[in-house]
Amino acid sequence: MTRQVENHVQIAKRSLDALLKAGADKAQVGLTVSERHEMNIETGELSLLRTTFNNSLHLTAIKQARLGQIGLNQFDSASVEKAVEDVMDIANGAKPDDGHDISEWQPAREFYRGPEKPDLDAMYDRMKSFIATVQQRHPRVVLRQIILSFTRSSSYLLNSNGVDFRTFKGIYHFSAMFSAQEGDKVSSFNGTGLAMKDLDRELIDCGTVDMLLKQSSEQIETYPVKGKFVGDVIVAPDCSNFLYGFLTGMLGDGAIISGTSVYKDKVGELIASPILSLHSRPVSEEIADGYFVTGDGYEAKDSTIVDQGVLKGLLLSLYGSRKTGKERAANGGGAFVVDPGDRSFSDLIKSVKRGVLMDRFSGGAPSKNGDFSGIAKNSYLIEDGEIKCPISESMISGNFVEAFKNITGISRERVDYGYAILPWVAVSGLTISGK
Amino acid sequence: MAVTDLREYSQLFHSYTELRVQENRFLRVTFVKGNNTTNSRSTTGGVSARVYEDGSWGFASSPEVSRDSIISVVKSATDNAEFLNTRQNRGKGPLPVVKACSERDFTTKKPRLRQKEIVDFVREIDDHIASKYPRLQSRTVALDCLDMEKTVLTSDGSLSHSMIPRAYLFFILSLEVDGKPVEIFKSCGGLGQFEDVFDSPSSVFPLIAAQYEHLERKAEGVHADAGVKTCILDAELAGILAHEAIGHTTEADIVMGGSVAARLMDKEVASPLITLVDFANSAQGRDCPVPVYVDDEGTEAKDTVIIDKGILKSFLHNKESAKHFGTEPTGNARAFQFSDEPLIRMRNTAILPGTSKLEDMIASVDDGYYLIRSSNGQADSTSEFMFGIGLGYEIKNGKLGRAIRDTTISGVAYDVLKTVSMVSDEMHWTGAGMCGKKQPIPVGMGGPAVKCRVSIGGR
Repeated sequence: MTRQVENHVQIAKRSLDALLKAGADKAQVGLTVSERHEMNIETGELSLLRTTFNNSLHLTAIKQARLGQIGLNQFDSASVEKAVEDVMDIANGAKPDDGHDISEWQPAREFYRGPEKPDLDAMYDRMKSFIATVQQRHPRVVLRQIILSFTRSSSYLLNSNGVDFRTFKGIYHFSAMFSAQEGDKVSSFNGTGLAMKDLDRELIDCGTVDMLLKQSSEQIETYPVKGKFVGDVIVAPDCSNFLYGFLTGMLGDGAIISGTSVYKDKVGELIASPILSLHSRPVSEEIADGYFVTGDGYEAKDSTIVDQGVLKGLLLSLYGSRKTGKERAANGGGAFVVDPGDRSFSDLIKSVKRGVLMDRFSGGAPSKNGDFSGIAKNSYLIEDGEIKCPISESMISGNFVEAFKNITGISRERVDYGYAILPWVAVSGLTISGK
Repeated sequence: MAVTDLREYSQLFHSYTELRVQENRFLRVTFVKGNNTTNSRSTTGGVSARVYEDGSWGFASSPEVSRDSIISVVKSATDNAEFLNTRQNRGKGPLPVVKACSERDFTTKKPRLRQKEIVDFVREIDDHIASKYPRLQSRTVALDCLDMEKTVLTSDGSLSHSMIPRAYLFFILSLEVDGKPVEIFKSCGGLGQFEDVFDSPSSVFPLIAAQYEHLERKAEGVHADAGVKTCILDAELAGILAHEAIGHTTEADIVMGGSVAARLMDKEVASPLITLVDFANSAQGRDCPVPVYVDDEGTEAKDTVIIDKGILKSFLHNKESAKHFGTEPTGNARAFQFSDEPLIRMRNTAILPGTSKLEDMIASVDDGYYLIRSSNGQADSTSEFMFGIGLGYEIKNGKLGRAIRDTTISGVAYDVLKTVSMVSDEMHWTGAGMCGKKQPIPVGMGGPAVKCRVSIGGR
């Protein structure tokens, strides 16, 4: 154990002891130390290098079923002592709730992933190469904001049941936001993001970056969809949160405890097309940017959320589980992996009589009953099995509960974002309206 | 936050430098269906420096605020600027020199309440809702308070200290209709700490009663008819029109990044009824929801008239964009956390009121919608915007009709604004939202009701 790690563990242990001494029946301490190096391109030029250090200390105290939580980023004794005093005051003020608890004892474990240090020269070279390649391949593209960062973090989670987890992680993140312009015309902003264990590949060759840059140039000239019709929408991987965001939101504590989830009693039932299987795999090697420990103090495990259309489980925390009597989830969600389908992307397009290839969705918060509507951005009209033209001012509306049942195709091709692995998904029966 | 006198550190500055000590303090209490699910406080603070060398920026931050860490942070930021500048001399030259000093502290003068008293306050509201409206399927009452305290010193000699707090209550009420939930969302609060913003739990009971009435009508509501419609956007909604649809397209970094507004300066972009201002700290004799006096680059914050009677007149600037466009910085450079660099952000963006009465505006519509509340919104380089609509009504033959279910409106802002034919004489402000752009940040937004034509989603 290095001196630095030993120091962090001692701070966490002292904080835990102080909480118990101050009267907590149960206590949890989460401590994270992180260092981040970040290069930024603004308007096509590498303009900013950032180095940031941060600490976080989260204290949880439960006293007579009353919960108190406090967060701070100072580790000095005086700050920690004050935080312990404050969190007990917060707990004493809470309404008692038997749902609050901490995780039971599990064997102590250490987890390691990714490099310990950034390669700053490689980061610089990759960013300069990215600018040059974009200028050459996509001369009409304006790079609005491009960020390449490396974050190294050491996290410790200890609780009064003897849980002791330590995670040491290094990860590169890349995010790109851009548009294209020619004369007075500009395309819609588009963007994507990736997580990577290393910088082995050129940035433009990762994920969907090059494809989206090419599409931006195509989208300088757009055409509104004419009229209103019911058609198919092929949801691109970059737009996947459009689908899975609603589903997973409905499976979490908030919607299940409040009773407002349309899926509250659907575990074991068919809620989607049998061709859809959705997994959460935070500890899998295939996910570069996963996690090993849940926020409520459990070692995370991979899980299947939807298996061939059947809902296999909810995404409840320990609190959500105790409040509802339903099973606690094996992880904290995210790290989504969707099984590949049996058709190629081009076959999906060929199967559409009239519809939209949707790369980005800009929509209002969906209703709890699943109703949604919003604009199809960076998207294309499909007619008679062919991509016809980029569109604008075109609205997509429907209901997510129905949309999951109306998935008609999933592509063989998938995109590895480092934090998720996702295919193209075809959904029928959505309302598409233009001018 | 112990206010640190930063002036002694100016001797460390060798290039243009900003030094900032900042602390953000959050308080959150949430009741979901009577369960006290959140009861927490958190504090995030530290020191940061940003250094500029001929077009290259270096930034560094540390959570520790001490003499050693300040020296280290200034050195690290300087090293970072040099790392870029030695590899790629951008040759941009010096930034505009400005100097401003300010001291503004909105800390309450009242005795601070203990956490138990605040939890009891929220619980009393929750208990009231539970007993008064037993038909509700679910209810959420949440309190969210944020204090942002900053001290900024620049190599130009600017020095400012500010403590800008906000406190908001959020309500989500839900009824079950045919086995599915129908929900309404409302917030209230404003500038100030909890003790200054909220009086007693009962003071919000009338607002909750009004929301329940809307919810009952929404439960019996219909889906909007998708298409381009004449709509009255209520004053409560106009702020997000000002912020999302127009404001973002005029942030100078977005303009340089390809916004359609780049080619519209001094051109007609809206009806002559539209004047849009990004207020720095006060409007119509009152403090704005998010007052900014000196921004995080040390520039005095001044009101910026973005659109004057339909003509685009100004973008929103930091020092670098002002230099690029050959104009003055407008005081819009703001950072959220101590570890964030200042970005060009709106402050309190509002459409100015007109002369029409809301009832006359509704009466003037034969077939359209009266849209009251937004759930969220997004902007684009093309000025094509989208807002989620959580509360609205049909207008048939000049009269309000059935409520509508959740929907979305959209349009190309600079086209929609040209369709504005009436602007009400009432003004509504809010500062409950967070704007997202690399970092979140509190923003104020406001405006009157406007009559225009927009696309509405539905079935």
